[in-house]
Amino acid sequence: MIMAGFSACTDTIDVNVAKGTSYPVLDAWITNEPGLQVIRLTQSVPYTDQAPAPVIKDAIITLIDETAGQTYAFNFNDSAYTFNPGDNATVGVTGHAYRLRVVYKGETFEAIDTIKRTTPIDSITYKYKTKSENAVPKDGYEAKFHAVDVKGAVDYYWIRSYRNNVWHRVADTYSVDGYFDQSVLDGASFILPIQEGITDEEHPYQLGEKIIVKIRSLTYQSHFFLTQVDEQINAGGLFAKVLENVKCNATNITPGGKQKLLGWFGTSAVSSSEKVIE
Amino acid sequence: MKTRLIMLLFPVLLLLQGQYAQAQQRYTISGYVKDQQNGESLIGISVSKAGTGLGTVTNEFGFFSLTLPAGDHVLQFSYVGYTSMKLNVSLKSNKTMDIKLEKSSSQLSTVTVKGTKQEKAVNTLSTSLNRLDIAQMKKMPTFMGEVDVLRSIQTLPGVNTVGEGASGFNVRGGAADENLILLDDAPVYNSTHMLGFFSVFNPDAVKSINLIKGGFPAEYGGRTSSVLDIRMKDGNNQNTTVNGGIGNIFSRLSVEGPIKKDESSFIIAARRSYIDVIMKPFLKGDMKDTKLNFYDVTAKVNFKLNKNNTLFASGYLGRDVFGFGTQVNMNWGNKTATVRWNHVFTNRLFLNLTTFYSNYDYTLDFNNSSKKEAGENTQKYKWTSNIINYGVKPAFTYYINAHNSIHTGVSGIYYTFKPGTGTAVDGTTTSVTDLTQQHGLEAAAYIDHEWKPSTRFGVQYGLRFSSYQYLGKGTAYYYNDTTPGIRKTLAGTKEYGANEVIKAYNYLEPRITARYALSDNHAIKASYARTTQFMHQLSNTASPTPLDIWTPSTNNVQPQVADQYTVGYVYDAPSNVYEISAEVYYKNMEHQLDYIDNADLQLNQLIEADLLPSHSRSYGLEVMAKKEVGATTGWISYTLSRTERQTNGISQNEWFLNRYDRTHNLNLVLTHDFSPRRTLSANWVFASGTPATFADSRLEFQDWDIPYNSTDKRNNYRLPAYHRLDLSYTIKGKQLRRWKGEWVFSLYNVYARRNAYTVYFQQNKDDPSKKEAVRLSIIGSVIPGITYNFKF
Repeated sequence: MIMAGFSACTDTIDVNVAKGTSYPVLDAWITNEPGLQVIRLTQSVPYTDQAPAPVIKDAIITLIDETAGQTYAFNFNDSAYTFNPGDNATVGVTGHAYRLRVVYKGETFEAIDTIKRTTPIDSITYKYKTKSENAVPKDGYEAKFHAVDVKGAVDYYWIRSYRNNVWHRVADTYSVDGYFDQSVLDGASFILPIQEGITDEEHPYQLGEKIIVKIRSLTYQSHFFLTQVDEQINAGGLFAKVLENVKCNATNITPGGKQKLLGWFGTSAVSSSEKVIE
Repeated sequence: MKTRLIMLLFPVLLLLQGQYAQAQQRYTISGYVKDQQNGESLIGISVSKAGTGLGTVTNEFGFFSLTLPAGDHVLQFSYVGYTSMKLNVSLKSNKTMDIKLEKSSSQLSTVTVKGTKQEKAVNTLSTSLNRLDIAQMKKMPTFMGEVDVLRSIQTLPGVNTVGEGASGFNVRGGAADENLILLDDAPVYNSTHMLGFFSVFNPDAVKSINLIKGGFPAEYGGRTSSVLDIRMKDGNNQNTTVNGGIGNIFSRLSVEGPIKKDESSFIIAARRSYIDVIMKPFLKGDMKDTKLNFYDVTAKVNFKLNKNNTLFASGYLGRDVFGFGTQVNMNWGNKTATVRWNHVFTNRLFLNLTTFYSNYDYTLDFNNSSKKEAGENTQKYKWTSNIINYGVKPAFTYYINAHNSIHTGVSGIYYTFKPGTGTAVDGTTTSVTDLTQQHGLEAAAYIDHEWKPSTRFGVQYGLRFSSYQYLGKGTAYYYNDTTPGIRKTLAGTKEYGANEVIKAYNYLEPRITARYALSDNHAIKASYARTTQFMHQLSNTASPTPLDIWTPSTNNVQPQVADQYTVGYVYDAPSNVYEISAEVYYKNMEHQLDYIDNADLQLNQLIEADLLPSHSRSYGLEVMAKKEVGATTGWISYTLSRTERQTNGISQNEWFLNRYDRTHNLNLVLTHDFSPRRTLSANWVFASGTPATFADSRLEFQDWDIPYNSTDKRNNYRLPAYHRLDLSYTIKGKQLRRWKGEWVFSLYNVYARRNAYTVYFQQNKDDPSKKEAVRLSIIGSVIPGITYNFKF
């Protein structure tokens, strides 16, 4: 912010970091969206390795709906472990508790999470802003979503926006009851900075583009994990947090088990909305 | 406890009595030493019987008391930059006199100091002490042309920062919250403006600063690493003068003058930055009402009620304001107020009674009024947090005779911590969140004896008893023990009523400093001091932020305790032109706070569940060579040091380097006067890079690459070395009647080095498939500055 006035600058440098130990990384997020559910298991790689992380193919992954007493076997095909309940059917059900079991190299890991309720997106609006008039970095459309927190409990949300399709992620914001880090008001509308958090100021939306916004519900623990991740992947600036490892919720339940699993198992109910800029 | 204290003090009293009994006909001469021109009391002036080592120095109010045998004496008053003065005194009874010293007409000339016995480190008892007066600071190269207290002390040995723009400094391996920063005795919690670029102390209102890094006199307590004692000017009691400066970031103006000549005076000094005012025409739309400024006002008055009583009142008010459009506003600042009463009971017993108030607070404020769309609710959110202290501190100095003096006193500080209150409004609904307030009472009593049996040997030893009580009204939280490094779970809570003691801690802190002169020019010194600290700033970012809260010691957070040992050597060249000093120190620190990985330090009622106690140790060698007279003056300081800690639950329980560890730190400060009107100064600093934790892996997760350190070891790499050259050139104008003006041209970071503040790991913003290590340089180019200073 003000550092701009002091000619702060960033540049890419080469750092000589010893190669770290590689661990399996779990990327599992089960939702109540219909259709295919995907779980990835990869190896961690040196940070600046540009190639995609190697995929682990020989694990056995099972999802257990503890509330319904149902088990889903995820099978490896191509690059991930998937389960398809059918195009209009869903795996995730709001209010259900889930256990994920990963068997890898003879050891078993388990993690649990619950699908909490989410809130609908009422609408998406946008406004054209120019560099010269609004001191934004680039001319384009600034979008805003409109939603209200569900009353009656503390709700945790993860808002992710996309450009044109779900393969082009734009921005992520997190909210507690419509506010930032803490519940201050129950049942309030989402506050402005979160509403506006769906636009990437450096790359605002352009005419003809489709804005897609999804609100995913979170448990306290998943919200905590994601906000820690957010601090680690946006670690620039004067007051950046120092590097800390994010902790995985999967535990090794094999007696005497030695292996470590990184990543996270999370579950969400998802509400979604989209709008084309005309 | 009480008996132990008496036992310890007993030998002191006995000794004094012995000395007293031996005394024959002796009389005391006492008084104040002041600057002839402006009436400012002069601190640290050497007052001695010419040709002997008998003498004393003026205290922080300019007072001295010297007891000598009856008869004729030649007293000499001297201080660098002042023409030394000799006075014939015939002592037949006790005498009081006020001395006025004249500034030496030319500081360039070495003649004025030849043959005088300066108050130099070789002759004083204190160790690990650096003193800067405002005249010295004014000569150093500046950042954007502005004289700055905190930047100046960073050129001294043993003082570090984590980087450019870091708010706070580190002394001898201590954390930034371990420095007691006193402005006229009131503690200052946030010492910088603009997130670390400028210090909050207006140089026009500052008289002198003392930085004590070790060998603490028993008078000081409450922080473990250093005391930065900043004394404000009293104000010119002879003539009204106006000082000011116009620079490219901010402007200063101060007025000082007599209320009643020789008896009372005032000073009021103010500053205001104006980047936002300059920016204003360029801001449009949402950003139109952007605020970015700071201001501060410093004021002081003093009244000499009669020859034995003087009253001082001083205050400071400063604020930083940031606003992004009308939507988000942040502001923070200190307020301090001090009232002091100096009373001379007898010409050998001096009292300074200080009462003070200090308040640091911040506010975050948000509203959607500027962007509210039809049908949308009004949203407002406001978060405030503060820390308030009230203190009282009577301090006595008893000047027994030329060889002995006693310093004793008590102090009490009452703290209120308000971690945060949030008010949220959505349409017509309002809700308030309040984190529990916390209270603490810090009380202390101290005594020390300064004993100089001969010109060769001197010792100052004392004891401080510090007691701290964590008080109600409030809720105490109790946690279950877990594996260190994992968040503790709540076992229960208990409500306490107002002023009920939740937890108490008591400490005895021995302090001792000794000096032995090998000759007139060489002295060795040694010291030991134990210090304790009852409040802690919680910060797990690269450098503390204005929004990092302070928390008191509680039933879960133990006070910090440090033990420091030093041994030093001072050489003062016979010509009095050079001084070389070296000191080694070892410091052991207990219960410094650390945090579990992924600790939640913001707005967290159960914050203590995320805190971990650690052990720290630091050691080092500091060398300084200084030249204070002649056309070329300056110093070289070099520090070789290490500071590390061990915390169960972090870095595999192994010792790791502190974030502010710098192996080498070299500072070169040089000033050359080409003529009385033209001065060039240069400052070069070199410091080893600070330790940092680097990611050796990344985890692919939900389309992100999360940096990860598979070794789990903290601070396992170092940033590249830091170095920087600054230059400044001052041209003084011709004096026109009373008007004196000067231009200061400065260049900061002359060769535009991009010193790394942090290195972090991220996906490229434009192409997320690219993964990079990024260096952040807070200042990446040369920064020019021009300031015009005036005085009339």
